[in-house]
Amino acid sequence: MEFYLAFILLFPLAGGLCNTLFARLLPRRLSEAVACGAIWASFICALLVFFNFTGPLKVEYASWLTAFDFQAPVTLYLDQLSLSLALMITFVCGLIHLYSIGYMKGDPALARYFALLNIFVFAMLVLVLAENLPLLYLGWEGVGFCSYALIGFWYQEEKNATAGRKAFIVTRIGDIAFGIAMVWMYRLFGTVSITQLNSMASLVPAGIVTGLGILLLIGATGKSAQLPLSVWLPDAMAGPTPVSAQIHAATMVTAGVYLLARMFPLIGASEAVRAAIAVIGGVTAFYAATCACAQRDLKRILAYSTISQIGYMVLGVGAGALTAATFHLLTHAFFKALLFLGAGCVITVLHHQQDIYRMGGLKSRFPAIYWPFLAGALCLAGFPGSGGFFSKDAILGAVFARGGALYGSLFALGLFTALLTAFYTFRMLFVVFHGEADNSRPLSPSSGEWHSHLPPVMTVTLIPLALFGLLGGILDLPEYLGASAFLSGFLGPIPGFAGLVQAVPGDEVSLQIIAAATSIVGLGLAWSRYTGDRRAASLAMEEAGSPRSDFFLYGWYLDHLYHLLLIRPFEWLSRFLWKRIDESGIDGSLDGLARFTARLGGVPAGWSSGRVVTSLFGLAGGVCVVLAYLAWRVLG
Amino acid sequence: MIVPLEHILILAALLFFLGLGGLLAWRTNLIMMLVCIEVMLNAVMLVFVGGSTQWGNADGQIFAIFIMALTSSEVSLALAMVVYLHRRKRTVNTDLFSEMKG
Amino acid sequence: MIPNSLPILTILVFLPLACCLLLLPAWKRPRLAFSLALASMLLELALTVGLFASWKGLAAVQTALPGFLLLEDRSWIEAFGIRYTLGLDGISLLMVMLTAFSFCVAILVSWRAIKERAVLFLVLLLAMETGIMGVFLSLDLALFYLFWEVMLIPMFFLIGVWGHGRRIYSTIKFFLFTLFGSLLMLLAIIALHLFHAQQTGVVTFALHALLKTTLAPHTQLWLYAAFFLAFAIKFPLFPVHTWLPDAHTDAPTAGSVILAGLLLKTGSYGLIRFGYPLFPQAAHILTPLFYTLALIGIIYASLVAFAQEDMKRLIAYSSIGHMGFVAIGIAAWQPVALSGSIIQMANHGVTTGALFCLVGMLDERAHTREIAAFGGLWGKTPLWSFFFLFFSLASVGLPGLNNFVGEFLILAGTMKSSPLVAALAFGGIVLTLIYMVRLVQEVCFQEERQPLELTDLVPRELCLLALVALLNLWMGVHPAPLLDLIRTPVRLLIGGGP
Repeated sequence: MEFYLAFILLFPLAGGLCNTLFARLLPRRLSEAVACGAIWASFICALLVFFNFTGPLKVEYASWLTAFDFQAPVTLYLDQLSLSLALMITFVCGLIHLYSIGYMKGDPALARYFALLNIFVFAMLVLVLAENLPLLYLGWEGVGFCSYALIGFWYQEEKNATAGRKAFIVTRIGDIAFGIAMVWMYRLFGTVSITQLNSMASLVPAGIVTGLGILLLIGATGKSAQLPLSVWLPDAMAGPTPVSAQIHAATMVTAGVYLLARMFPLIGASEAVRAAIAVIGGVTAFYAATCACAQRDLKRILAYSTISQIGYMVLGVGAGALTAATFHLLTHAFFKALLFLGAGCVITVLHHQQDIYRMGGLKSRFPAIYWPFLAGALCLAGFPGSGGFFSKDAILGAVFARGGALYGSLFALGLFTALLTAFYTFRMLFVVFHGEADNSRPLSPSSGEWHSHLPPVMTVTLIPLALFGLLGGILDLPEYLGASAFLSGFLGPIPGFAGLVQAVPGDEVSLQIIAAATSIVGLGLAWSRYTGDRRAASLAMEEAGSPRSDFFLYGWYLDHLYHLLLIRPFEWLSRFLWKRIDESGIDGSLDGLARFTARLGGVPAGWSSGRVVTSLFGLAGGVCVVLAYLAWRVLG
Repeated sequence: MIVPLEHILILAALLFFLGLGGLLAWRTNLIMMLVCIEVMLNAVMLVFVGGSTQWGNADGQIFAIFIMALTSSEVSLALAMVVYLHRRKRTVNTDLFSEMKG
Repeated sequence: MIPNSLPILTILVFLPLACCLLLLPAWKRPRLAFSLALASMLLELALTVGLFASWKGLAAVQTALPGFLLLEDRSWIEAFGIRYTLGLDGISLLMVMLTAFSFCVAILVSWRAIKERAVLFLVLLLAMETGIMGVFLSLDLALFYLFWEVMLIPMFFLIGVWGHGRRIYSTIKFFLFTLFGSLLMLLAIIALHLFHAQQTGVVTFALHALLKTTLAPHTQLWLYAAFFLAFAIKFPLFPVHTWLPDAHTDAPTAGSVILAGLLLKTGSYGLIRFGYPLFPQAAHILTPLFYTLALIGIIYASLVAFAQEDMKRLIAYSSIGHMGFVAIGIAAWQPVALSGSIIQMANHGVTTGALFCLVGMLDERAHTREIAAFGGLWGKTPLWSFFFLFFSLASVGLPGLNNFVGEFLILAGTMKSSPLVAALAFGGIVLTLIYMVRLVQEVCFQEERQPLELTDLVPRELCLLALVALLNLWMGVHPAPLLDLIRTPVRLLIGGGP
């Protein structure tokens, strides 16, 4: 068991190192085989662990940071939560690795790509399986670095490199808060072990727990692209599409949710923290959904939808519905990976055209892309019966069950967001796949031709994801359907997961009817606007743009605000400190002192002119002084 | 002792300052500077001899003879150097020499 | 095992100097001289690694001073009570290893770069190694001061003769700054010596005797201030840091490696070994000042680094920021933080040394260090870019690489004594990231901005960097042996402190 657990981590690490060290020496096929083999081997290990799983397991493998009472060994902790996430990560990432073989065909830097992708999986698994916070932080920063390097994978373009840098820096701002929380816990409790910390909430006053919780929440907002640190994720779409699927949709961005769920027994003890988490989640979900409605880049729509869906998960954590949040995390991983991979197929056949207004009518030409994409869209929109429907509804149900003004308004906001979600999802689907492409506009900048040969591996990998997405609801069906809730039962024993409030069965049915209706209304709105005769008019109007749509297109001008408030003053300050303080201030005054000393020294230096007469005058002067002194002594 | 020591000292001082003044004033000619130094040395010698007669001690006179021997050798060396310097620089004006500058 | 009868510490200190004599016959043959010097430095490194491998055995044998693994004590200048006392404990062992290692790096990186007066260069390098080894090993204040000055002079010539740019200005600035501090320290040492002689009648400069001197609080404060200023200049702390960017920018690569790797460490080492133990109350009183200067240093240097246009200058400013973390860890005077500081001293030496090597290699090829001249190097020199990215990541404290270990322990320990400082210092980490990723992006990524003919790393450079990278990784993944090594001395130091 310990053996398999270690190998879950070691396979991706070995694959990554192999591709790093041998890089271009490896033939392409071998490079691909090593990378994919490593992840699937890791998945098999995770499966073996799953079948042998009997209860939470803590294994210490080696020492890492040990100084006096600060102990952070390399210890893994396997419980139901980390196990289910590890299974999901290895499975989804395995499929995305396979897909990448097709997507990255012909790219010269394949080894670098796969090395980073493998190391990412390793870091993500460390994050999930770590038993203490510094080790979790290792995974946390490791995925951050891989994300940075993969967003800027096509580094020649400044836009990509800058997007990678932005992602790294913005998430690191959140990490500061996480880091402070970590060392503060060490100060308070003398330990950084997650399992120990989770049983210690009662030892400190509620105010301190609130402080810790807020810090962790800020850390989570950075990694999970929640407000106010959400600005990096839309730009992160500059990376290759499988990277967006793997890192910026399925796994890494949910790390913040995982962290909050993991530490929930500690931070959930504070009512204020729970409310803050719920508000951040609910508002972000709404914010991103409004932005998604106005986007014209296929991947940016998906990016904003990711922010929005993670907002739901965070809202779920805030409502104390950890099982529901985890459930949504799992189904979202499947359907969002599916949507991104489908988008990748679309982008490939259109020669890297990402503007949806240049698309249309793909349904008849590429049914192999259309049908899985439709499945993903149904899940995202929360169409009744799909996996996304059950998981999203579980969260909304939990928020509703909490009651009160705050959670009541959050529930209303969540429901409205669900309507927006259904609208923008089907807007995307209809604009891209239905109707006819406007022939007056070229499909892609390079050529009007469609790329009709898609590597089969790219479409085949969509199928399992579509199945998991659509049928994901089976994992945790609501009670009124008569099925046993598998995930609730599985995750139940973890502290904090049992649920704070039990939903009333009658309410649940009516809630789900409302949710289903919302989704269908959204579908109907999109249908009436983007299909048939009105399609052309709507698209033309949207493309013309308006101040209101620009506001949503640029994400409520959040980027502009940060540029004005933070980046410009930062650049100004750094130049000011350098030129004014360092060079003119400190060095200038010291150089001035040096010049003064030199000038002072210049006075006697002038006496050593090398001419005899100067010495003679000195001699004569000296004689005069001696004589004058003697005369003064004798006479005076 | 007919001449009092004070007179000798005054004379020596006059000679000394005469030499010093000449040395400072006549620096365009190295040979004249050497002459002035001789005058200063003679002033010192005069003090030695005067002191020797005042206290009846031969040491002063011995010193005077030493100085004579010293000056003769010094002058011969110095003149040789002046000749050499003149050959190199075509001048004996000391203000034009500044090779000893640090 | 190393036999006990050998005066190992003396060998450690004077082996490089002895090698200088060996170089004299090879005056006209620089290649041979390089090989000889490298051989002696490798021998030195082997010796220190041997000591590290056997330190547990040595620790089992009690020496005259608690915590010390090896001790050598001989009378030297009887009249002033100056003794020749060398002692090795865990902290000095770590520093001595770092010294031996950094000098190997320095000589390998100068292998082709130094063409003029190569043997003189080597002689100065070896003399400096003796000086630095002496600083890290001496336990007699007079001896310490002697070595402290000895290491200064070769550096002065190294920058002045083999440097570039405004090298004369920079080297004189460096010299004046350090000399100013050390002269004040000399006065304080003599004053301390006289106070001790007055009290006990024993004439001595031995650290362990002077530790027992009782001083009036006022006197203690003045003496500590003199020591502190000397060490703060070496550190360097905020207002007295301006010599460092100039010295680094104009020094030859080997000089930068030694400057960043070792000379800065003598400041922090001196504070740990002498400043705090000798004047505990004064140090305690001045802690808020120390914290403030260190914090200003971190934030200020990181901001200034962001605006730099010269790669070497940027890394020099990053050094100031990183040493600010070391300063915070010392100021906290708390076991975890102090362990972190000591580890961080070694980490910073390895990482920043490697970054200076990389910039030096690029400078050799492109003859410029202007950031704006580069771009897209990942495509042209992939190996160079890989290592540059690697060490930049280490520099920003990516967990798994070495700087994280030190920084994290420092912050965890500081959190225990002063939470506000720790929280502010955390902000410094993100500032480091901002200027480092800017540097990496503008140099390695994007389109190339000027057509430059560049060749990638040659095998000598590749091996050197790969070794440093492996060491870096080892220190980041498995720092436990090093932390073990310094545990006992840290405990003994803190026990004696406030």
